[in-house]
Amino acid sequence: MIWNGCWAKFHNNSHKIIEELEFQFETIYQENYQKVIRLCLGYVNGHQALAEDLAQEVFLKVWQHLPNFRKEAHISTWIYRITVNTCLLELRKKKFNKGQEVLDNVTSDTDGEPLDHEERMRKMYNCINKLSKENRSIILLELEGIPQKEIAAITGVSHEAIRVRVHRIKNNLTKCVQHEVI
Amino acid sequence: MRSFEDIKSEWNKQIVPEIPSGGADRIANKIRKIKIKQRIAYIVLSLTLVILLIFFFHVSAYRSTTTMIALFLMMAPLLVRIVLEVCSIRALKQLNVVLQTQDFKKGMLRYYIRRRWVHFLITPLAFGIYTIGFTMLLPGFKTTFSKGFYLYIIISSIVSLSALALLIVVQIIKEQDTLRSLKDSKT
Repeated sequence: MIWNGCWAKFHNNSHKIIEELEFQFETIYQENYQKVIRLCLGYVNGHQALAEDLAQEVFLKVWQHLPNFRKEAHISTWIYRITVNTCLLELRKKKFNKGQEVLDNVTSDTDGEPLDHEERMRKMYNCINKLSKENRSIILLELEGIPQKEIAAITGVSHEAIRVRVHRIKNNLTKCVQHEVI
Repeated sequence: MRSFEDIKSEWNKQIVPEIPSGGADRIANKIRKIKIKQRIAYIVLSLTLVILLIFFFHVSAYRSTTTMIALFLMMAPLLVRIVLEVCSIRALKQLNVVLQTQDFKKGMLRYYIRRRWVHFLITPLAFGIYTIGFTMLLPGFKTTFSKGFYLYIIISSIVSLSALALLIVVQIIKEQDTLRSLKDSKT
């Protein structure tokens, strides 16, 4: 009887914990999906299907690490850390190199005509793609409007170094976008 | 686009995929599937080991010292390599993605440096020992099987060992590229 009572209590408690985790995860998913996918798009040159695959991997990790999230860091910092690290890890795989093909297939038929949004985005992705993976992470976070202090907390690079690097990458990116011929 | 602000405003205008309906549930299902796959992998590995042991006793390998040593030389490196691969996959999956990127990259770097030991020492050693074991079995095959089947064994084993060697080399090159790119992006 005592054993049955203990078991029922344990079962109810664990069921409740799982339900709470699922609810918490659903909320995090809804609130952060768009932020995550925007960042992922930057790593795969705007290839939507690949970005969706990356985002799925990111949320798999979020789910796995959610019970250990201690709220020491802000939730968005935590999610961005997982996103940047998961993208770095996943980009080793061959299928994510398809993102490069998107750029390789772009033809150079602009001939001084004003560029439409899609072409401007391709141009931008091409320039972002030329950066090192680390600089790519920094500038993608900057483009997303993340404060530099938070970028430092995500990447582990000092705030001062981030400030200098963002300035340098911004200049290089702007020059590249201005002169890039696709 | 003349300034970074133009770039940023263009970036903010990009079309972003909608939140997939039932996406969170799909993730939970994928986790369940991953766990099932892991269990299947362990079952397959255990079954392989059991089959090898059954084969060992079925052919009464313990009666002939040469056959026993040869089979041991073939099975042991195979087993060591499988166990190392399983541990390696686990280690890669357990890389802590919650860490700051700099620390995470250090973890990745350590992982690939450890893999070099496997690639450049353990794998060639295992491959060599396996081949020695197999070669030790050949005189027995020659006396037991017909000339045609013996020739088939020789040719098919050369082809499969060469294919395996090629596969290993390709994998090593891929991992060395990753290691190089990780080292290059160090600040």
